Amino acid sequence: MREKERTIVNKDAELVSSCKKGNIEAFDVLVKKHQKRMLNIAYRMVGNYEDACEIVQDAFVSAYKSIKNFKEKASISTWLSAIVINLSRNHLKQMKIQRNREAFSIDDPVLTDEGKINVEPGSNELSILEKLEKKDVQQKVQGCINSLDNEFKEVLVLRDIQGFSYDEISDMLKMPEGTVKSRLSRARYALKDCLKKIIGEL
Amino acid sequence: MDCHNIQEMLSSYIEGVISPEESKLIDEHLSACSKCKEALYDLKKTLEYVQNLEEVEPPEWLTQTVMTRIRSETEPRKGILQKLFYPLYIKLPIEAVAVVLIAVTALYIFKTIQPEIKPAKAPSEETTARIPSREKEEIPSISESKENVIPQSPPLEKGGKRGFEAERALPSKKTETMDKFVELPEAPSPITKQEESRPSAGAVAKDESKNQVLARAPKSKALAESKEEIITLTTNVDDIETAKKEIEKVLIGLGGKIIKTESYKDNNFITADLDSKKAAELIVKLKQIGEVKEKDMDLGSMEGYIEIRIEIVRK
Repeated sequence: MREKERTIVNKDAELVSSCKKGNIEAFDVLVKKHQKRMLNIAYRMVGNYEDACEIVQDAFVSAYKSIKNFKEKASISTWLSAIVINLSRNHLKQMKIQRNREAFSIDDPVLTDEGKINVEPGSNELSILEKLEKKDVQQKVQGCINSLDNEFKEVLVLRDIQGFSYDEISDMLKMPEGTVKSRLSRARYALKDCLKKIIGEL
Repeated sequence: MDCHNIQEMLSSYIEGVISPEESKLIDEHLSACSKCKEALYDLKKTLEYVQNLEEVEPPEWLTQTVMTRIRSETEPRKGILQKLFYPLYIKLPIEAVAVVLIAVTALYIFKTIQPEIKPAKAPSEETTARIPSREKEEIPSISESKENVIPQSPPLEKGGKRGFEAERALPSKKTETMDKFVELPEAPSPITKQEESRPSAGAVAKDESKNQVLARAPKSKALAESKEEIITLTTNVDDIETAKKEIEKVLIGLGGKIIKTESYKDNNFITADLDSKKAAELIVKLKQIGEVKEKDMDLGSMEGYIEIRIEIVRK
C-alpha cells in the first residue's frame, strides 16, 4: 500500500516537472487524476454541484498558471486542495454577500420523525426505501455541513471526508496543528447538534 | 477533570491522536460519566454519517473544459504577437472600408477609360476584317509567283475558311515533302505559312488605306445590332485646325457627343457618339468641309448611338 502510494507520488512529481517544462499534456493527466477529489472537496464546501464544477475548473486553471511556484516537497494533491479550499471560501463569501442562495437552515421544518436510519456500512443490499432514506440522510448531512461556519467546514471536509492528515491540513490552511484539532472538535460537535435536530436520534 | 474538558478531547480521542496519559484519563472518566459516554457515542455516529457521504462523480466534460481554458488562457508567447497586431485588429473596419473604396475607384476608372480602349481595338479589327477580301484578289498572285519558294500560302484569318483551305493545301504539299519526311506533322507547316503570308497581306492593306477610307461598318449583321458601332470617316482638308472646329460644331449640331480628340503630326482624330440616323447627315456636312472618303458604310443596318471616328488628313 505504502509502496503504491509512493509510486503515485513519484508519478505526480514527474508530471509536475513535465508541466513546468510547458508540457500541457502532462497537466491533462494530472487533471484527470485529481479532478474527482477536488470536485468532492468543492462540493462539500459549497454544497452545490454546478458551483463545485466551476470552482474546480478555476482551481485547475490557476494551478496551471502558477505551477512554477509549486514546491516539490508538498504533494500536488494538498497543493491543489488548498487552491480549491481557497476558491470555495471566496465563493461562499460572494454567496453570502449576494444572498442569492439560502443556506440550509437548521430551523427549516424537519420532515422526518420516523428516522431511525441504520447507516451500517456492512449492509450492502439496500432496499429502494432504504436507498431513498439514504439519499435523504445524505442531503441532511450535507445541509448540516452547509450550516457550519467556513472555518469549521474546511477542517471537517479535509479531515473527516477527505482524510488528509493533521499535518497536511495545517500545511494547507497555514495554521498550527493545535488549531486544526480544536476547530475539528468544534466542527464535529456542531455537526452532531445539527444532525440531532434534523434526524432526531443518532 | 470536568465533563467540558473531557468532551473537548473526545474528538481527538476517537482518532487516537492523543497522548496515552490523556487517553487513560478519559477512559477513567467515561466509565463513570454517562453524559460524556453519550457524547462520545453521538460523536462517533456523527463521524459515521459524514464518512458515509457518497462521493460525487465529476462530469465527463470537466477535464476537457479545463484543458481548453488552459490552452486559450495561457498563451503568453502569442500574447506579444497579439499585442503587436492589436492595433490592426481595431482598424479592421477602417481597412474594410478602404478596400471597398479602392474597389469602387478602380471600377470607376475602368469604366471611364473604356471608350479609349475601343478605338484602340478598332483598327486591328478592321485589318483583320479586311484581309480576307483582299487576299482573294492579291494573295493568289503572290503565291503563284512564289509557288516554288513558298509552297502555297493558304489564306489566313476567318477560322473555318482558313482551316478548310489549309487542309486543301496540304495534299499537294505532302506529295512534295513525302520523300523527305515520312511523317510530316500536319499542324506546324500551315502555321508557318500563315505567318509568312500575313505580313504581305498586312503591308498591302496598310499602303492602300493610308489616304483612304479607313473604315467601314463590319459586314456582319450581328455586330451591327449592338448599340455602339465604331465608324471611321476620313476627311481630307486643307486646314486641319479649322476643319476640326467645324467638324466638332457639326457633330454638336447633330446632337453628337464628342468623346475625345487626338492630334498627331499629320493625322487628327475626333471620336464622337452619334445617333446612327444622323450619320448620313454628318457625311453630307463633312463633304462640305472637305473631301470625304468612306467605303462600305452600311448605315442602314445600324441602330441607336454609334461611335464615329473621324480622321482628318491634310491634303
